Amino acid sequence: MATKGNNTSLAVDSRSQIGTTSANALRKAGKVPAVLFGHGVDPMAVSLDAKAFDDLLHAGGKNRLLHITIDGSKKDTALVREVQRDPITRRVVHADLQRVSESETVSASLPLVTVGVADGVRNMGCVMDVVVHTLEVEGPANEIPPNIEIDVTELGMHDHLTAGDVKLPPNFKLRVDPATILISIEPSKTEQQMAEAAVAVAEPVEVPTVAETTPTEELPES
Amino acid sequence: MLTPKRVKWRKVHRGRMKGRAMSGNSLTYGEYGLQALEPCWMSNRQIEAARIALTRHIKRGGKVWIKVFPDKSVTKKPAEVRMGSGKGNPEFWVAVVRPGRVLFEIAGVPDDVAREALKLASAKLPIATKIITRSETEVA
Repeated sequence: MATKGNNTSLAVDSRSQIGTTSANALRKAGKVPAVLFGHGVDPMAVSLDAKAFDDLLHAGGKNRLLHITIDGSKKDTALVREVQRDPITRRVVHADLQRVSESETVSASLPLVTVGVADGVRNMGCVMDVVVHTLEVEGPANEIPPNIEIDVTELGMHDHLTAGDVKLPPNFKLRVDPATILISIEPSKTEQQMAEAAVAVAEPVEVPTVAETTPTEELPES
Repeated sequence: MLTPKRVKWRKVHRGRMKGRAMSGNSLTYGEYGLQALEPCWMSNRQIEAARIALTRHIKRGGKVWIKVFPDKSVTKKPAEVRMGSGKGNPEFWVAVVRPGRVLFEIAGVPDDVAREALKLASAKLPIATKIITRSETEVA
């Protein structure tokens, strides 16, 4: 059972019944249907304890190597690859677990965390625009950091940070174009400018149809 | 107010609002968002009123994204007109909103300002909403 902290163990049970009905029954019983795949082995339908899995995710288990125990005996290591949540209740609906060995090179999507307040924001009243919120990296499965911290204190007006500027942990490399802009500092718009930017139409106007605006070809006279 | 520039057909079927928002149900640009909890037809006037409330509160700085667009025309027959004689005229535009849809997003403002601005915007809308943040949605 997973707990908060550094414990990354997770107990899973194999399940024979698949499909919506049995998955819903599992969810009602406080479990989460999941699938365990990878390493050239057939995918295995499993179920997890919902509370333990949620605690694990809140403790940063998204990018951490998990030591899973299948049916209380068989041991394996895996990464959480995808978590489907209900958009309103945020309850976990399904999870994808991928088998990985400890030193295997895997790709991961790491959240970007900005450190400090940009000079442009502090002194020039600019707005920091985080263009990309996660960064795709590749590295050993047992060394994946929970996030990537970026220092933005030096950024002034119209400055930007690209993926190539990010200092990655050793043994990790980028999986995106280094020229990808992650963060930019732009001058802020005043309320008046924002109002002007919005389409100022006071009353509903007659909206033309495509047929009205597209010139029709004249039929040749026969 | 938001209106389409041109449409393929002036009058459209009413459609249904069953189920939940399958797309546009998570934060894409900003740090804070306003999420719909009920289905509705949100008119362009309501969207505009919410946008004005939002931008007036954050005053300067910050960035606002409107994530719904009223692309469906709603027709009405004039008052005191007998039934029949065809469908009424398009009167206004609505966005079909299903539960879970993120309506507005904000970034670049402090937590308290963002929450208050979204609360004021929420008061202009015809449905129950909730404020969502990137930190809580990024858990997984």
